[in-house]
Amino acid sequence: MHERLSFHVKRDSFLHRLNPLTKLVMILALILVTFTFPWYWTPHLLVLVAVLPLSLLGKVFREFSFAALRLILPAAGFLFLMQAFFQPVGSDVVFKFYFLDITSESLTFAFKNAMRVFAMVSAFTLFLLTTHPSELMSDLTRRGLPGQFAYVIISTLQILPQMQAKAQTIIAAQRSRGLDTESTFFKRAGSLVPLVGPLVFGSLVEVEERAIAIEARGFTSKHAKTSLHEIPDSSFDKALRWILLALIIVSIASNLWLS
Amino acid sequence: MAFVTLQNVTYKYPLTKEPALREVNLQVKEGEFVAVIGPNGAGKSTLCYALAGFVPHFFKGEISGSIEVDGKKSDESTLDEWVLNVGLAFQNPFNQISGAKYTVFEEIAFGLENIGVPREEMKARVEEAMSLTGINDLADRSPYSLSGGQQQRVALTSILVMRPKLLVLDEPTSQMDPIGTREVFGVVRKMAEEGMTVVMAEHKVEWIAEFADRVIALKEGRILMEGRPNEVLTSDLLPENGFGISRYTSVAREAKKRGLWKKDFLPVTLDEAAEGFKSR
Ligand SMILES: Nc1ncnc2c1ncn2[C@@H]1O[C@H](COP(=O)(O)OP(=O)(O)OP(=O)(O)O)[C@@H](O)[C@H]1O
Ligand SMILES: [Mg+2]
Repeated sequence: MHERLSFHVKRDSFLHRLNPLTKLVMILALILVTFTFPWYWTPHLLVLVAVLPLSLLGKVFREFSFAALRLILPAAGFLFLMQAFFQPVGSDVVFKFYFLDITSESLTFAFKNAMRVFAMVSAFTLFLLTTHPSELMSDLTRRGLPGQFAYVIISTLQILPQMQAKAQTIIAAQRSRGLDTESTFFKRAGSLVPLVGPLVFGSLVEVEERAIAIEARGFTSKHAKTSLHEIPDSSFDKALRWILLALIIVSIASNLWLS
Repeated sequence: MAFVTLQNVTYKYPLTKEPALREVNLQVKEGEFVAVIGPNGAGKSTLCYALAGFVPHFFKGEISGSIEVDGKKSDESTLDEWVLNVGLAFQNPFNQISGAKYTVFEEIAFGLENIGVPREEMKARVEEAMSLTGINDLADRSPYSLSGGQQQRVALTSILVMRPKLLVLDEPTSQMDPIGTREVFGVVRKMAEEGMTVVMAEHKVEWIAEFADRVIALKEGRILMEGRPNEVLTSDLLPENGFGISRYTSVAREAKKRGLWKKDFLPVTLDEAAEGFKSR
């Protein structure tokens, strides 16, 4: 019940030791190149030479393949089918399914798009697996992101599971007093109205108290903040960010050039 | 000169008719440990908020009179400066978890990060504060996975680590077992001995009798009585005004009526009661 909304796997690896911003630029580069570089096999190649090796370098291959096979691949597969069937391009019919014609053009098109999505979501998953949310936020705060903004993101990630747990408690409490939560949809929807009160007003009081609590601990202090964890940012990180940025620019430029 | 001075403080929350504090006059010396008792709604929490600057800076509302801590007036200061001197831990431990941190260690460091304490010093201070309250073994746990009593210890530690000059605690042991309560009172006593001034709202009169220097009894926003713990806690005024009192006091008062209690004072703790009944 006290599960938290974070996919981070604590490990010591090359990828874990990279600066969060470097990793952010890295997945951005991966996504942008996948979508803009004007060569058919770009996404396929990137998955093979970037995403998979990175999952090994980050020592999260097992977690990554689990997510890839269980979630990302089915989603990409679904996208592939949808596009293969309903994309009305080309004339080279290879397959007929009732009134739907599947052409070789629609197949290649769908394959490429599905692969793009697969690469994109995979890159993002790798990022989440190897980056601690509070590390990311500390780093971005240090670079000028407002502290309040970072706080809202992190506390939302933390508080959502709590809210869920509390809704369960309230439902249980009200069901024990005869609240109907199991019959038809409309009856149930109607009977959930009493839940809104405690949840929302409870939360308002909580928000007020939490505001006091963090204020009492100097949250709005005008001192420059420090951070408990040292966030790595080597010259390698900086160089890598510039290289990735150059890669993004080349990819976008070649896309504009050739189309 | 007193370290804390409240002069004629009357305060009304916004949109309410009755004041939550009425003409409160109070002085606390440096290094003194003062306990505040009172029935529900007496204004204990409000007094805590007033000392910590949240009344009126955070809650708004109407305030008159003056609040002074360490020579500075609350209405001439801003909240973010005020909290550097005055630490507050309040009733509900769950809502005191910042929500920004994933481990207890990080949670305790949160306040120090905010006021810009350098990393090495921060780590040392967090370690030290955790040993003080005995929560070293919780360091790597998620603050949300703790029991209420453990969360209260974390909340207290998170404030102690900031080394306030005035420590304001609003029922800091409400979810603790007797062992935890005793430890917290012990820690607070120790801090007071080292010069920290402490104001604590609390119901547990037996512990107050043993550890506090002075007791303030609040009722309907007014100070009904103040004085040495035994004097206040055994006064007839308390039961007459709906205060919770020690069962040992009630028993001895009853015994006195029947001539079974011969001492000229009433006990608050078990030890005092046992002693009194033994040597009659
Ligand atoms: N945020 C608020 N807005 C309006 N009125 C409030 C607010 N907080 C407290 N009050 C009122 O102020 C009065 C004093 O409340 P306070 O919380 O200080 O009492 P307390 O002694 O701490 O009680 P308890 O033992 O229940 O904690 C009460 O009448 C209460 O209803
Ligand atoms: Mg209270």
